[in-house]
Amino acid sequence: MSGLVLENLDFSYDSTLILDNISLDIPSGQFVTLLGSSGCGKSTLLRLIAGLQSPTTGQIRWNGNAVKGTSLERGIVFQDYALFPWMSVVDNIAIAINKARPHISKATRREEAAAALREVGLESAIGKYPLELSGGMRQRAAIARALALGSPLLLMDEPFGALDPVNRARLQDLLLDVWEASAPRKTFVFVTHDIDEALYLSERVVILGSSPGRVIADLTVGFPRHRERKTLFNSEAFHALRESVAETIAADTLRQLSHHSEKAA
Amino acid sequence: MPQAIALDDAERIVAPTETPAPRRESANVPPDIHLVTTSAKAPPTRSSVWGPRLLRTLERASLFIAILIAWFVAAEKLPLGDNPLIPSPVLTFRALVESLPELWRGTISSFFILIPGFGAASVAGIVWGLIVGTSPRLQRIFFPFSRVAAPIPPTVYIPYAIAILPTFRLSAIFVVFIGAFWPVFHNTAAGAVALEQRYRDNASILGLTGAEYLWRVVFPASLPHIFSGMGVGLAFSFVMLTVAEMFGANHGLGRFVQFYADYAEYPKMVAGILYTGLITWLSMTLLDLARHRALFWLR
Repeated sequence: MSGLVLENLDFSYDSTLILDNISLDIPSGQFVTLLGSSGCGKSTLLRLIAGLQSPTTGQIRWNGNAVKGTSLERGIVFQDYALFPWMSVVDNIAIAINKARPHISKATRREEAAAALREVGLESAIGKYPLELSGGMRQRAAIARALALGSPLLLMDEPFGALDPVNRARLQDLLLDVWEASAPRKTFVFVTHDIDEALYLSERVVILGSSPGRVIADLTVGFPRHRERKTLFNSEAFHALRESVAETIAADTLRQLSHHSEKAA
Repeated sequence: MPQAIALDDAERIVAPTETPAPRRESANVPPDIHLVTTSAKAPPTRSSVWGPRLLRTLERASLFIAILIAWFVAAEKLPLGDNPLIPSPVLTFRALVESLPELWRGTISSFFILIPGFGAASVAGIVWGLIVGTSPRLQRIFFPFSRVAAPIPPTVYIPYAIAILPTFRLSAIFVVFIGAFWPVFHNTAAGAVALEQRYRDNASILGLTGAEYLWRVVFPASLPHIFSGMGVGLAFSFVMLTVAEMFGANHGLGRFVQFYADYAEYPKMVAGILYTGLITWLSMTLLDLARHRALFWLR
């Protein structure tokens, strides 16, 4: 079957259970967000999918194949450190292209890198170094690199978490453009703790509860494609969904608190 | 969501701050909005720059001037008489000018030892440091040995090196190598061990492995450590070089100082010390420049 399948994933660290029995079925081409409060294990879950760490038990399969270690099939964009600071922006992307398609010439590689930068509106920064870029521009470059890798599955770990609200909104729109334009449609797994971001971007929101991290809700976001930010954020449907998501998370937090106080007593 | 609405407006107004991306982001600034541009600060006047700058230059030179005065007083004004062990600055300077051709030949001779010794130590220290620093198994094998071997003062190898190697130059290169290798190796390995998780993750995502991983990720990331090691290594190289030359060379900086000390020509000996100091300082400055250039990507 095509897509990403997580089967009964457990992950423990120092005998503490971080992720508890996570099962998800993400068909290819879907834009799904993993939403949860800080420390709920959502970044860990993403690292497991990327192959940077292995689950304690359970299985991850991508297009039917078990995930073992990292692969160019599964690209990832981190929050604030996706680029090597000692390489120029274009070299950062060219090195990715070189790994993905080793047979192409150096000139073609640089052309492809430039094209990827154009796609994210960053052609002016080609010869610059990450240090010379703003946070927003760096994340654009990181997205360009992920695109240049050509991975059909793109994992994003709070990629806009460190950006100011203005740049954040612009990059969200850029990401939607990229996803909608991809053919065949790429699978996006996006981690965030921002409810608005989750609802605005994705077709499906998986809410993770804390201690241990587990799926507490899995909902479809039925807003039409080509979303217009202002209209959407003003709509009744958006408000209602936002409320129910916030309540779900709050209920889990309460449950946790009472659980802790029971233990203490 | 009033916050989000305000955000959306703000986005349109300040859109030109970044290069606009294609499609969705329209950069329409309404004509009735005047963008405020900050005016450039007035350049500081000349006098306001010169005062503190002059003072700072004086501060930097002050200790040198004080030592020079003290030296002059000790040699010329105090009742030490004509103690040949304290030649006056004037005499020393004259000896320095007189010896310049000889000192220059000595420098060339010394650098034929220093450059191969320090160069080989740097290459070997960096390569082996990167390899060991990225392999826990090699660390378990090599670190116990290096902990014992590295603290041995490299000067004690000099007599043996001279006895065992066919020429003096080779023995000197060997001891310079030993002196510079350990600091370069240790710092490089420490840099590789301390490689930040984010660079490991990044390399792993891109599938960078083996030599490519070492060369394009671990090496540049470790450069700050490597340069510290090379600084210590270079200082050690000069120590080893001059000591070795005092043992058995016919030329070179250390030999120059030892030779004129043996013949009690102290102005020349002191001139040789000052000249060696100058060459060492120049070499360290050169390394510092290289560090500055190589680490442009650090803030």
